[in-house]
Amino acid sequence: MYGWIWRNLPGPTAVRVALAVVLGLGVAALLLFVVFPWLEPLLPFNNVTTD
Amino acid sequence: MGTADHHARGAGRISGDLNDLMPTTRFRPVPSPGPRSRPAFEPGPDRTRTIVRTVGEVLITLGMVVLLFVVYEVYITDLLSAGKQREATAQLDDRWHDEPAAGPERTDHFEGLGEGDGFAKMYIPAFGADFEFTIVEGTTAASLEVGPGHYPDTAYPGQPGNFSVAGHRVGKGAPFNDINLIQSCDAIVVETQYSWFTYRMVPLAEEKAGWAETKGKDPRCEGVGPLGGPYAELVGQEIVLPTNGGVIAPVPHQPGVTASSGEMASLMTLTTCHPRFSDKERLIVHAVLTEQLHKDPAKPDERPAALRETG
Repeated sequence: MYGWIWRNLPGPTAVRVALAVVLGLGVAALLLFVVFPWLEPLLPFNNVTTD
Repeated sequence: MGTADHHARGAGRISGDLNDLMPTTRFRPVPSPGPRSRPAFEPGPDRTRTIVRTVGEVLITLGMVVLLFVVYEVYITDLLSAGKQREATAQLDDRWHDEPAAGPERTDHFEGLGEGDGFAKMYIPAFGADFEFTIVEGTTAASLEVGPGHYPDTAYPGQPGNFSVAGHRVGKGAPFNDINLIQSCDAIVVETQYSWFTYRMVPLAEEKAGWAETKGKDPRCEGVGPLGGPYAELVGQEIVLPTNGGVIAPVPHQPGVTASSGEMASLMTLTTCHPRFSDKERLIVHAVLTEQLHKDPAKPDERPAALRETG
């Protein structure tokens, strides 16, 4: 998977490294600011009230 | 003849075995060309290797996603909540500043608060002078991201009854992170627009016997000692199941009981999750109102003495 991505990144090594970093950060940002906020209320970690 | 046949067959078998053991074309070292120059069809181990490696990479990736989720829960939500808390505090300060500060109307009103509106500030001096949070109305997930949230059907600061507040213990600002460390007689100071209220944690279950001879002698503990009447069972800290809504009743654990107005105490109750990171139980802290200070416009810097009890 990662090998395939690396082979399909264009440009010389330096450009590839930069693109890989950008891709990684993009995925992390997507998870942190979109996926996790949506997911979190569905998980039973942080309920602090009594019913 | 038979013997020769036998030998021949035997020899053939041996040679066959040897052929199996001999290196075959499969084991011929592949000249290492670039990945692109591999033939499209790869029989045997290379294809298997690709599948195994991909599965491994996917598993490692999922593990990293879970780790990132932990980082999100513990740190990122803190950052997001800090911004919301700052905003709520700024709004509350504006409102307190804008509303009439003089005249006979200097009493607190809590009607018409919307979900998520800040209406008071809480301080726990034992946790340091910087422990300060704006309490918002309501206990929905959105409100609790802003700060500690008031259970809407419970009393408001200073009123007889049970002023109950829920707060996160992990992430989202974690206002009640260390709430298990609070000790009996430690102050929880609540500031409203026109008043300061000092609540103090009531004795723990194991401290109640012999309270008057031991901790009860501490001048801070005046008015904190075991309460009588319907409050005889009240303890400073307890761990209950999430379904135990009775802890925020006016008389905790006795939702049906309404103490007569004369003996109705003003309590404060904090609820948070327990153990940390778990939904299993709730940690409850009960405190009782011991001191009330009306803000005097002539002395804007007056503060209750309890605020200086920093640990």
